[in-house]
Amino acid sequence: MKPATFDYILPQNVEEVIELLEQHEDDAKILAGGQSLIPLMNFRLARPKILIDINKIPSLSEIKEEGDQLLIGALTRENEAMNSALVMEHCPVFSKAISKIGHSTIRNRGTVGGSVVHCDPSAELPVVSRVLNAQMRVIGTEGERIIEAEDFFVTYLTSALEPSEILLEVRLPKLEKGCGWSFVEISRRAGDFAIVAVAVVLMTDKKGVCTEVRIALGGVDDRPIRAEEAENYLVGKVADETVFESAAKLATEDLDPESDYHASGEYRQHMAEVLVVKGLKEALVRTKGDL
Amino acid sequence: MKIKGNYKFKADQQTVWDLFNSQESLARNLPGCESLLETEPGKYDAVVTIGVAGIKGTYEGKVELAEPDPPNFYRLVGEGGGKPGFVKGEAAIKFSTDGQNTVVDYNADVQIGGLIAGVGQRMLGGISKMMLGQFFKKMAKELKS
Amino acid sequence: MTEKQSEKWVGKSLKRTEDNRLLIGKGTFVDDIRLPNCKHAAILRSPYAHAVIKGIDVSEAAALEGVRGILTGEDVAKMSSPFPCGVTIPTKYYSCAIDKVRFVGEPVAVVVADDRYIAEDALDLIQVDYEPLEVVVDIEETVKPEAPVLHENIGSNIYNHRFFKYGDMDKAFEEADFVLKEKYKFPKYGSTPIETYAVVASYNLISEDFTIYSNYQGPFVNHALVSIALGIPENKMRWIVPADVGGGFGTKTGMYPYIALITLAAKKTGMTVKWIEDRREHLLASATGTDRVTFLEAAFKNDGRMIGLKDKVMDNTGGYIRAPEPGCAYRSTGNHTGAYQIRNLEREVMVVGTNKCLTAPNRGYGCQELYFPLERMMDKAAKHLEMDPADIRFANMIQPDQFPYTTATGGIYDAGDYPRGLKKALEILDYKKMREMQKEARAEGRFIGIGIATVIDPSVTNIAYVTIGKTIEERGNEKPKSGSGDSCIVKIDPLGSITVIATTNPQGQGHETVISQIVADEFGVDPSEIKVVNTIDTNSSYYTITTGSFSSRFASVGTTAVVIACKRVKEKLFKLAAHILEVDPDQLEFKNKIFTVKGKPEASIQMRHVAGSAHWNHSSLPDGMDVGLYGSACYSMPTSKPPDEEDRVDSSNTYGFIAEVIALEIDPKSCEIKFLKWASVHDAGTILNPMLVEGQVMGSVAHALGGSLYEEFAYDENGQCLTASFMDYLVPTAMEIPKIDIDHIVVPSPFTALGSKGAGESSTMSIPPAIGNAIADALSPLGIEITELPMTPNKIWHLIKQSQT
Repeated sequence: MKPATFDYILPQNVEEVIELLEQHEDDAKILAGGQSLIPLMNFRLARPKILIDINKIPSLSEIKEEGDQLLIGALTRENEAMNSALVMEHCPVFSKAISKIGHSTIRNRGTVGGSVVHCDPSAELPVVSRVLNAQMRVIGTEGERIIEAEDFFVTYLTSALEPSEILLEVRLPKLEKGCGWSFVEISRRAGDFAIVAVAVVLMTDKKGVCTEVRIALGGVDDRPIRAEEAENYLVGKVADETVFESAAKLATEDLDPESDYHASGEYRQHMAEVLVVKGLKEALVRTKGDL
Repeated sequence: MKIKGNYKFKADQQTVWDLFNSQESLARNLPGCESLLETEPGKYDAVVTIGVAGIKGTYEGKVELAEPDPPNFYRLVGEGGGKPGFVKGEAAIKFSTDGQNTVVDYNADVQIGGLIAGVGQRMLGGISKMMLGQFFKKMAKELKS
Repeated sequence: MTEKQSEKWVGKSLKRTEDNRLLIGKGTFVDDIRLPNCKHAAILRSPYAHAVIKGIDVSEAAALEGVRGILTGEDVAKMSSPFPCGVTIPTKYYSCAIDKVRFVGEPVAVVVADDRYIAEDALDLIQVDYEPLEVVVDIEETVKPEAPVLHENIGSNIYNHRFFKYGDMDKAFEEADFVLKEKYKFPKYGSTPIETYAVVASYNLISEDFTIYSNYQGPFVNHALVSIALGIPENKMRWIVPADVGGGFGTKTGMYPYIALITLAAKKTGMTVKWIEDRREHLLASATGTDRVTFLEAAFKNDGRMIGLKDKVMDNTGGYIRAPEPGCAYRSTGNHTGAYQIRNLEREVMVVGTNKCLTAPNRGYGCQELYFPLERMMDKAAKHLEMDPADIRFANMIQPDQFPYTTATGGIYDAGDYPRGLKKALEILDYKKMREMQKEARAEGRFIGIGIATVIDPSVTNIAYVTIGKTIEERGNEKPKSGSGDSCIVKIDPLGSITVIATTNPQGQGHETVISQIVADEFGVDPSEIKVVNTIDTNSSYYTITTGSFSSRFASVGTTAVVIACKRVKEKLFKLAAHILEVDPDQLEFKNKIFTVKGKPEASIQMRHVAGSAHWNHSSLPDGMDVGLYGSACYSMPTSKPPDEEDRVDSSNTYGFIAEVIALEIDPKSCEIKFLKWASVHDAGTILNPMLVEGQVMGSVAHALGGSLYEEFAYDENGQCLTASFMDYLVPTAMEIPKIDIDHIVVPSPFTALGSKGAGESSTMSIPPAIGNAIADALSPLGIEITELPMTPNKIWHLIKQSQT
């Protein structure tokens, strides 16, 4: 398991990166945390001729707040984002999602941007990005643009980035006060890829009626999805176990997840339903400030 | 792995049949196809570079449009080897008329072996389906134009 | 045989002498061996499970800068013969594929280059023309006439096939109150040592001999087999195993074909060649345990006694059969009836091939495969009789006053108290309370199960057992085989320091530490004063064909060899001290390194002066005594005899006992398993170092938990291995291992010097059946039978769903 030959470039700024991407197109890959890329290279499944190491580019790893958003630099290490006071206060579901990524040693190197751009359909950050309606700020030869989360995750391992675009930061809307949230998943072992992952954001009024519901699922399709029918069903209803169970059915009855060696499509569909209920219940408890 | 599905084309059956038998169309739309050279009628040497994101591999092999029953049916048979492993597959392709449209039914059996099979089992099924879907989308797009 | 003295080192949890060097990275593993001008090998492996090799073109690869040479199957066929194997079929297994490949990952060529990166670049450039053939991966399919044949010269996929009868099974069926039948499947999994295979080989053109470093774990019979395959006398091939090996667990007994392969690469290229196996190679093509299908028919009386057992087992050794197979099917011959008094048996044993990776002894070797069906069947009968599964086992157990007990199949159980062991485990679990809690929980619809397994843990292999794969007539045509030898040399230097030269071939078990404890006791010194050298060098080590660390032999025969060597040195010391003090040896006391005449404290001599005399003053020695102070032993247990004419053989030499009692709960939604309480009681005889034994038990728990719930080498119907990385081959992490209450009973073995029995394999044998029983118990309200492993949440969910339709 040794990689094939490659050239290694250490650019000093983003402009250089874009130039390199434009020049080399498919022959180049960005090296951030390397936690997905390097194993692929060691297996020789990925054989980029050029490795563009962006780890020395300043200003790509800051966490800032700007109005009602948190701006997380693409190069921010997962553990840093997870433990950031800003993230824990304003977007705790993002922190929780990160805690499910692999093991701590992996998260010391893996980056928020890297995981997002990798677009693994079972990964945690794409799911939580969908539930938060995150925005991806990217830059390329045509300049900067914002890609909404619902457009960003296209299919297996494929993002909406153009060939010479690079992700600069992930913008997370701050959760409102009193907002409930949850991130639940099932995996074979601690730290493994999720078989199914569910992220929930939930707001209720004083009477316990759902005013805002967002449910995102991972591991059930070629990209993370939102259960819009279930979300619409819940808005206006009093949050309780019965409506949660109905919502979970709505969220999952039309799913047709792939089977693999570890779990059949039916088991995934079943667990998606179980986890939507679990996620909604946990989120409800959090609206009451109890968890 | 077994992949089944169907696709509706807004054209008559003969037109669709011709499209699916045209070397140029196949060469343009088969995922990652870099070259498709006819060696005998219905038999081709193929070079295909496929994969997702950075995980691409070049496969050299053969494609055959076997057991043709124009304009109703043929069996698309292909196999290729490359560094990441080998791919072998056959798809029974049925063409039928549904009003103004043609329905193309496919029933495929795909074998993937070598390196990617050993480390990629988590996504191979889904990715294979996706690529087959892409093929049909591209064929449909070509029909429109 | 244990002396009751105070301040003995044996029995203490002495910290390991190995640890310091390992913790600071100063161990000596094979990869630490840096020889000058060493090149690196990479192996081209088959991507097909079954194919003809029509041709190999290495020209482009050979021309790559940095490539020093390439070895192909054609070379291997010229430079070597097939490895001998203990079966009668004309099996042809080489270290490399010659004209056909028979499993994914089989070596097809070896590239030797300046570094591993270049070697792998060269692999990409080798063109192999394969003609794929039909594949068979299922054990029952492979014996059908329409199955593709793996070896044309054999003609079928059956590598070995024997029938056995013990007692009177027909009578047992007649006398039975009821008969139960079931089919069981046992999965293919392994032990994935943290250090993979490693070989450094070189060929000396002048002396025409080979020097090979590797992390091989024995048995050293394979040194002879490789010599035969290479067509050289054994003294032309030097094998060296360093002191530090990162785990073996049986997997490294199967590496000798790679030793041969890399050695041939070294010979062909004239280079020193290093090959460090990577993890993907290890998971694809090293060695796993066999998978097995078992058909059981058991005859019972209404009081719960199993009076007869008829079984058909089908073991799968993969694309080829190679030594020590068919051992997988026969290692457990002596303990085939486990802890029970079953005297009537009828057996059909088949060892078959499919297009899967090859096998080698995997920690537990044959016993978890044996006990899973046997213990499940006990539970099945208990359910039929509405009897407690603990009670049915008490009803069947061999009693404490029956030892030594010879089983129907020739096993000689040395010592044990099985009822006491199970009772202790039940106490630890608080069994009665657990059953009450289970009742209440069941009423609430919860799935709580308690599983019991009581098994015999055999240790010290008697190599005779492999020959039982041949019939009495076939054995009659050959020289018999028997034995379990392990060796040790103890020497005392001119200044009186003690060195032990052991060849127990450790892979991390802590042999150095235990040996220092034993020798410290023998000589009344501190363990830190003992130097233990435990590397193997076939040029200079005292070894035999059974040398190696496998089947938990160190604690039994290994330690006995150490004790005997010590006693021989002590005997000489006493004789020489007596000679110097002019008394008879029995008039001497030996304490605190001083010999004193009993009753005359002023008449004494220090041990180091006695040692000094032995070296420095030959004329002071009694007539006929050798100079120096040197004692050696190569001890084989006396019960290691060849099989008799009734096909009975004592396949092991000491037999421990394990009672595993596990309480678990299955989440009805996710079907994940949570362990509630777990009691694991072991009788490993005298405990030499409690801390190390606990480590062994915990390690065996991790391995067994893996095989029961997480690990499996999975293949699709085309023989493609789906679990070729740790992403999909799920080794349990620390997070998955529950808290376990381990305890011991000590029933010393009368057959070993210290009364110890083996503890290396331990709960690998008892946990798969206990977990199977617990899951079946949890799901029994739904009438679900558990007949296979691993039991994943996905599988359990589907079983529950099926039962509800």
